Amino acid sequence: MMDNTQPIDVIEVPHCERCESPLEAGDLRCAICGAAAPQSVSTKQTKIAVNVLRCTGCGAAITYDPNRQAPSCSFCGEVMQVETIVDPMEQTEFYLPMTVSIEEARAALKGWLDTRGWFRPSDLSAASQLTEIKPLWWVAWIFDADALVSWTADSNAGSGRSSWAPHAGQTELRFDNMLVSGSRGLTDKEAYAITPGMQLGSGKTYVEGGGDQPTLERFDVPRSQARQQVLAAIEATAADRIQQHHIPGTRFRKVRVSLVLRRLITQRYSLPAYVLAYRYRNELYRVVICGQNASYIVGSSPFSYAKLFALIGGTLLLGLFLLIVMAAAS
Amino acid sequence: MASTVSNPPTSTEIACQSCGAILLIDATVRSTTCPYCASPSIIRRPPTPNRPSPSFLVGFTINHERATQLVRTWLSKSHLFARSDFKSAVPELTHGIYLPAYLYGAVAHADYSASIGENYTETETYTTTDSQGKSVRRTRTVTKTEWRPLSGRYVCYVVDVLVTASGGVSNEALEAIEPFDLRSLRAYSDSFIAGWLAEEPSRTQAECFRFAHDETVALVERRLKGFMPGDSHRNLQFQTNLNNEVINLVLLPVWSYAVRYAEDRPPVQILVNGQTGRVGGKVPVSTTKVAFAVLAVIGVLLLLALLMSLAS
Repeated sequence: MMDNTQPIDVIEVPHCERCESPLEAGDLRCAICGAAAPQSVSTKQTKIAVNVLRCTGCGAAITYDPNRQAPSCSFCGEVMQVETIVDPMEQTEFYLPMTVSIEEARAALKGWLDTRGWFRPSDLSAASQLTEIKPLWWVAWIFDADALVSWTADSNAGSGRSSWAPHAGQTELRFDNMLVSGSRGLTDKEAYAITPGMQLGSGKTYVEGGGDQPTLERFDVPRSQARQQVLAAIEATAADRIQQHHIPGTRFRKVRVSLVLRRLITQRYSLPAYVLAYRYRNELYRVVICGQNASYIVGSSPFSYAKLFALIGGTLLLGLFLLIVMAAAS
Repeated sequence: MASTVSNPPTSTEIACQSCGAILLIDATVRSTTCPYCASPSIIRRPPTPNRPSPSFLVGFTINHERATQLVRTWLSKSHLFARSDFKSAVPELTHGIYLPAYLYGAVAHADYSASIGENYTETETYTTTDSQGKSVRRTRTVTKTEWRPLSGRYVCYVVDVLVTASGGVSNEALEAIEPFDLRSLRAYSDSFIAGWLAEEPSRTQAECFRFAHDETVALVERRLKGFMPGDSHRNLQFQTNLNNEVINLVLLPVWSYAVRYAEDRPPVQILVNGQTGRVGGKVPVSTTKVAFAVLAVIGVLLLLALLMSLAS
C-alpha cells in the first residue's frame, strides 16, 4: 500500500447499477458482475413499425454479410459502418513526477553499495563503475475495491490424526491503492520493492522531471486483458490476506477464495524510477531506485566468496585449535 | 412441453416498404424478406414483459457454405451406432436464424455443508507368505482418511448463463452448440439482422428464468465441489439463493438444418453455431447395429467360457 495523502479528482463516469464499479466508454456490460450497462432510453414504442435499411450509395436494401461481419449492399458492395467492439489498448491516465535527481540517485546507489553486508567485496563501493543511469516511467494499475470473500482452506489448527484440518469462513475486505504492475521492463520483485515510495496524490496528466528524453513505458495489453490481470491480482491478494489474518493455524494449504467485488475503481499510472547498471570486475549488476524516494532501492550485488571461504577456514582452524587444546589438557 | 407467450396475436399484416405488397407474417418473426421484391424488412413491435426488445446480439461469422460443410463432416463422423443412412444423408438448409435467448446473471449465495476427508498415513503390520512358503510378518504404509464436518457460506457472481427463449429450440439443443464467444457481443441494432430471419421470444420469461435457475444451481454445485478443501469430500449439501438477478434478451446466430434420412422417419434438426461453427443435434441410433453389437459381446463371452471350461 502506498502513501496517498491527496486523492486525485475522478471525473464522474457511469457506474454499474449492481456492483457500483465504474463503466468505461464502449462497455456493453460490467466487466466485474456482467450486468448490462445502462442504455439511453429511446422513446417508448407503442405501435408496430416496419423498417427497411437502405444503402446510402445506391438506395438498394442492405443485408448483413457474415463474411464482412457487417451489413452490406449486395448491388454496389458498399459496407455499412457499424459500432465496433471497443477493446482499446490501455493508456496512462496519471504520471507521478520524478522528484529524485540523477545526483541523488547516484548517491543512493553508493550508499546502497556500502550497506550490502559483511559478505560484500571490501572494494565494492570503490571498484564499482556506474555504466548507465536511465530515468524511466513504468506502468501499473492502482485499484480500490470492496470485496465479500468466501474462503476455505486446510491448516494445522485443530488437526488430529491427519496433519490438516478444514476451515471455512466469509469476511469483508477493503482494498485501497493496491498496485498491479503492468511493466515489462521491471520485474515484479523490483516494482513492488520501490512502490511504497510513491506518492499517488502527486499524479499529473503530463510527465515532469527525468531530463529531456525519459523512457516512457506503455501498457501493452488491451482493456479486457488488463481487467483479467487486475482481477487475478485481487484474488491472489485476497487469498494472501485471508491466510495471514483469518485462517487459524501456522501452516496452510489449499487456500481457496471466491470474491464478490463492489466499487472496483482502477486507474492507470506511470511511475518514475531510475534503472542503473554498474560494473564490478567485468560483471554487470542492475539496481532500480524509486523516482520519488531514493531510500526505496532494489538490485543485485556481488558476493565475496573469498570472505565466505575465509570464514569457513577460520571456523575450522578454531575448532581444530580447541580440539588440540582439549587433547593436551586431558 | 414448452409454455408459450400468453395470448400472442398469431400473425401481423405489414406493407413492404419497397414495393408496397401486403405481407402476412408470423407474430414470432422479427424480420422477413418480401417474396416479390426481396427487400428485407424489420418489424418493431412494442416491447412486453415476455417480449422485451433485444439488448445484445452476436453476429454471424460462419457463412452458409461453411455451415453446410461442417454439418456434412459432423454427419459422416457420427458415433459408431448411428444409422448408416443418417451418416450419408444430405443436409437440407432450413434457414440461418437469429435465435432469441436470455443472458442471465445473478449473485449466488449458498449455505453448504460437507464431510471433508484429510488423508494421513499409518504403518501397519501384516502377515504374509514368503517365496519359500513360510509365514512372515511385515510392515507397510497405508493411507487413511480422517473425515471432518465443514459448513459455511459461499458467494459468487454468476454471469453469462444462456438459455433459449425460442419455443422451437430446446435448452438442451442450445447447450449442444454452446459456447458462444460473448466477448464479441454487440449492442443490438436492426442492421445486423437485415436480410436474416430473426425470431421473437416464444417462451415466457418465467419459464426462461426456471431454465436459468437450474443451470445456475448446477454451476454453483460445480464451483462448490472445486471450492472444498481437504484431499476429498462427500455428502456435499447446499442451499442456493439467487439475488440481484439480471436478464437480457440476446439474439444468437444459428444455422438450422433438417436432415431427412428415411422416408418413414421425421427429419432430425441439426443446429450450427453461426459464430464458432460447433454442430449439435440428436443422432438416431441404429437398432440393428446395437443388436449386432450385443450379440457379438454375448458370442465372445460364450467363447471365452467355453475355452476356460476346456482348459480346466
